[in-house]
Amino acid sequence: MGELAVSGTVGDELVAIGLGSCIGLALVDRASNVAGLAHVVLPESQGKTEPKAKFADLAVPDLIARLEAAGAVRRRLEAVLIGGARMFAVGASLDIGARNSEAVRDALTAQGIKIQAEEVGGNRGRTARVIVGSEISSQLAGGPRTSLMSLNGALGVRTPAGAA
Amino acid sequence: MTGRLTDMQLDALRELANISSGTAATSLSQMLGRDVDLNVPKAFALPLADAVDAAGDPTEEVTGIALAVEGNVPGAVLLLVPPAGAATLCGLLGVEPGTEVGDSALGEIGNILGAAYLMALSSMTGVEMLPGTPQVITDMLGAIVASVLAGAVGHGDIALVLDSELDITGEPCAISFMLLPDADGVNDLLAPLGLAEANA
Repeated sequence: MGELAVSGTVGDELVAIGLGSCIGLALVDRASNVAGLAHVVLPESQGKTEPKAKFADLAVPDLIARLEAAGAVRRRLEAVLIGGARMFAVGASLDIGARNSEAVRDALTAQGIKIQAEEVGGNRGRTARVIVGSEISSQLAGGPRTSLMSLNGALGVRTPAGAA
Repeated sequence: MTGRLTDMQLDALRELANISSGTAATSLSQMLGRDVDLNVPKAFALPLADAVDAAGDPTEEVTGIALAVEGNVPGAVLLLVPPAGAATLCGLLGVEPGTEVGDSALGEIGNILGAAYLMALSSMTGVEMLPGTPQVITDMLGAIVASVLAGAVGHGDIALVLDSELDITGEPCAISFMLLPDADGVNDLLAPLGLAEANA
């Protein structure tokens, strides 16, 4: 939670286990096989500066910078969102999951990054898994992995934005 | 800032948890007609990610019963029961586990335990804490604990967890009872004991 990982090694696995209201934000540059995953806990940092991955508004720019440092090209970055469930209406009685989704979405829009796939909302916990050069998947407790995006370069044919 | 809690403060919180969960265990025992064993509670203040890890294997499937806590020190009560334990509790109450009625019965256990615990805690500290409506969900432990803690911890870095374990004697049923006070409220619990944080 509130953690972030980046890898440019094909076959590396980045995993965020048990995402409830949290968001697993995956950003990938498929052409250069660089991928990152941030475990976002809350929508806004409200003056906090660390840990960056904990807050949507800080996590997005930080993840982009870390990916660029690992060799990713910014304009090729694509996003996948997993999590943001409403497990309980307990605590601040606010729907943190939905606010997290919205904040991550806003931060990505501000950076001009397109969301290619997402599995968010509902009331079930999920595990987000990024296998560099292979796929990004989401998994419910005790369920099978659902592939959300292929990271296999050979299959990574993309239509231009807006073509559909 | 709960990150600076001293050992003495944690000891005091553990003692509050001990007495409160004793009261809760008595209520549970009366409700089920069984003896209930109570282990020495744990009190820890940890960064969010570590607190979730401390609660157990994040991939393990558990039933969580959560109640919002309202009042002077808001927060949440979270009970975690492994599936076998949840089935045992349902069996003792004569309802089918995994059904709406079963979940409702588990919610009622959460209600009774939560109310007894908070009443004991309130009477010791003079701090008003009232239980909300219980919600029951079965999912990955990590997802349940993280979601409840995220609300309690908010923008602080440290989660305070008071964790008591209640075992139904002779049954494979261990209930983990956790009180998760909001970060700012800890001082209010410690103040009546003369242990408020010096640097708060």
